[in-house]
Amino acid sequence: MRPDTAPAASIAAPAIEMIGIGKRFPGVLALENVDLALAPGKVHALMGENGAGKSTLIKILAGVYQQDSGTIRIGGTDANLRSPRDALRQGVKVVFQEIALIPEFTVAENIFLEGYPTNGVGSISWKTIYEDAAALFDRIGFDVDPGEKVGNLPVSKQQMVEIARALAHEARIVVMDEPTSSLTPAEVSLLFEVIRRLTSIGIAVLYVSHKLDEIFEIADTVTVLRDGRHISTKPIGEHSNDSLIHDMIGRRIENLFPRKRGTAGKDVILKVENLTSADKLKDVSFDARAGEVLGFFGLMGAGRTELAKAIVGFDPIRSGRITIGGQPLLPHDTRTGTSLGIGLLTEDRKSEGLMLELPVLHNMSLASLESYSRAGFVDEGKERSAVQSFVDRFRVKTPSLNRQIKFLSGGNQQKVLLARWLMRGLRIIVVDEPTRGIDVGAKSEIFALIDQLAAEGLAVIMMTSEMPELLGLSDRIAVMAEGRITAIMNRDDATQENILNAAIA
Amino acid sequence: MSDITRPAPAPGSLLARLAGNNQLVLLVILVVLCIAISMGAPQFYSVENVIAILRQCSLVLIIAAGMTMLLIAAEVDLSVGASLAFSGVVAMDVTNKTGSVAMGAAAGILFGGLVGVFNGLVVTRLRVNSLIATIATMMILQGGVFLYSREAVQNMHLQRAFTDISTGYIGPIPVPVIIAAVVFVVAYVVLRHTTLGRYIYATGANERAARLSGIRPERLKLIVFVVTGLLTGLAGLILASLMNAGQPTAGRGFELTVVAAVILGGTSLTGGRGSLLGTLLGVLVLKVIDNGIIILRWDQNLQMVVPGVVIILATYLDLVRKKRDAT
Repeated sequence: MRPDTAPAASIAAPAIEMIGIGKRFPGVLALENVDLALAPGKVHALMGENGAGKSTLIKILAGVYQQDSGTIRIGGTDANLRSPRDALRQGVKVVFQEIALIPEFTVAENIFLEGYPTNGVGSISWKTIYEDAAALFDRIGFDVDPGEKVGNLPVSKQQMVEIARALAHEARIVVMDEPTSSLTPAEVSLLFEVIRRLTSIGIAVLYVSHKLDEIFEIADTVTVLRDGRHISTKPIGEHSNDSLIHDMIGRRIENLFPRKRGTAGKDVILKVENLTSADKLKDVSFDARAGEVLGFFGLMGAGRTELAKAIVGFDPIRSGRITIGGQPLLPHDTRTGTSLGIGLLTEDRKSEGLMLELPVLHNMSLASLESYSRAGFVDEGKERSAVQSFVDRFRVKTPSLNRQIKFLSGGNQQKVLLARWLMRGLRIIVVDEPTRGIDVGAKSEIFALIDQLAAEGLAVIMMTSEMPELLGLSDRIAVMAEGRITAIMNRDDATQENILNAAIA
Repeated sequence: MSDITRPAPAPGSLLARLAGNNQLVLLVILVVLCIAISMGAPQFYSVENVIAILRQCSLVLIIAAGMTMLLIAAEVDLSVGASLAFSGVVAMDVTNKTGSVAMGAAAGILFGGLVGVFNGLVVTRLRVNSLIATIATMMILQGGVFLYSREAVQNMHLQRAFTDISTGYIGPIPVPVIIAAVVFVVAYVVLRHTTLGRYIYATGANERAARLSGIRPERLKLIVFVVTGLLTGLAGLILASLMNAGQPTAGRGFELTVVAAVILGGTSLTGGRGSLLGTLLGVLVLKVIDNGIIILRWDQNLQMVVPGVVIILATYLDLVRKKRDAT
């Protein structure tokens, strides 16, 4: 907290202004009439739940997307950010979570990537590059060797190289997207020092994060987005933890998805004990019961997808036990998993679910082919009629079973993948972000199907970052943060506040 | 497979419509070639010439059947040419030493199978990219065959049954053509009508999706490598019989002919897409071109040049088709 914050932010002329920004994607209104103004020398935090529109907004700043409506003003004049390179030329640098450096090049080479200084005969002046880089680092106090290969640096230093790259191009506005997501606490405080140096030389920083403690430590002003709309912009001093969370969630109708099913069963069908993986999961334990929807909530990077892949046998685990219907998942692979009756509806349909070039028929029957075949020969009549019955039951919109699945909409593709598992007859289905990239109409159909599955006695484990679908469908809710389960609660005890608190913990 | 993996043709330019079915394109190319060649050389349609073409096709087709499966599974085997020669040497040598054609044939085929096992294990266990792994195997075999035998292994056993493998007839049809036909039919049925075939397509189309569905892609790929190896051994046996010797240098560049035929047939290098019918047409087109160049008395070097041009053309048409699909 800095006493001079509020007045300074309102007095200084903004370094960049976004006015009435709107952006539409097919089927989704990502941003609607959003305003944002960054003051030079100040840290402005941008907050919001997953899907609130933060990434779309910063991608517009980065020149990756162009807004459909609204204007951007840099230093008081209208600006048009046509590409990332163009944005950088106009003084806007976005440091994305995915570092965009060339690992095989040295630090200095990366910094001047957009245009190497040349000497009289037009060849690159390596001496200048390294001297300039070193001078730049001196000026802002980075401790990085310009001759080091970027690939050899830890992520935190790579981030600093990205920031230095911004300064080398005389950026006046630096945007950081979840910059601390892969940093250790010590690296975080180093980053904050760098941010303070940036502001001290008059640079405007937009800091995108959902970590409350960081926001309170570094930000001068906070803007909250929700559902693509601007909710509030206030000096940090006027906010408390609760008021920020309140702005992020708002007042929503809690039960968008009225459940048809009664109470969940009591039989534990999946038991996960002390699951630890090499990369993410730490000592995860939980049970799932037949007939229930167990919702898993977590912010980005909490480890939900990793957990989903581990319990179906797709990703290896380091230690822990998974027991399905009393039998251990050993050996730990999907062959064993599927035969014990657990399957994953992946969040990444394209790279892990769909066989894009193949017809709906083959996509749907993939996991159950053996039950439609005798002595290795596929009984195509039987297969076809089984697939057809699921196409009818799920109302999959496809002109024929022979249609390549790449021509179907996201919602229909998702129904086919869900049917792939139901044709097989599972006891436990893990659904990871089941409505990602699906339009609203198909969403409620997917919800109804999930509800129906639980009603039929399956245990449904649902990984989601969407609060409404979590609260609407789950019987119990588990919250994850940084690879651990931080809370498990019954639906009736769960509120958006205590869920989000556990997720931010 | 194409009749069920491809959507109904949409209206478009003549070129796009023509390209709408890769196999139709090949069929048209084949017919045009036949007509053109027969106008310059009427003996093209003689029974002798047709049988010669089919005989030429049989060796390529036997290996191409395995290669089609490999490419559909998104792998490739470039060691087939070297393995072809080595298996022939082994088959002839074992027949010489045992006096048994059956033993020699079994040894030749088994040798090819073992090469397949080796390739399969290197690719699936050591996770070496199959392009690199099988080029390495090719080098090992090309050198290894000379460690095994300094020179060509001549026919010392003089058994009729051995030469009959390539020169014999059943009715009017040469034995190699019958062998190739049987291989083709079996491979066609496997790819189209069995779970194994479906899993091969699935693995090539999306390996991670296949694994999530409980399929073991590594095991499947190993099987396909072994099948390709066994078929290469079989072709090596026929080649040794045809040349009446185990020739260590035979089969150089054969892998390129095989891969060219499969790709010409519309099988995708990226996996998941392809058909044996296409491969058959691809083999026929390449061999009819070969034959035409010979009977028209053109410069023999065109035997390499013309197929090169045809492959570029066919692949381009395939791209046109894909682009139309995408819209």
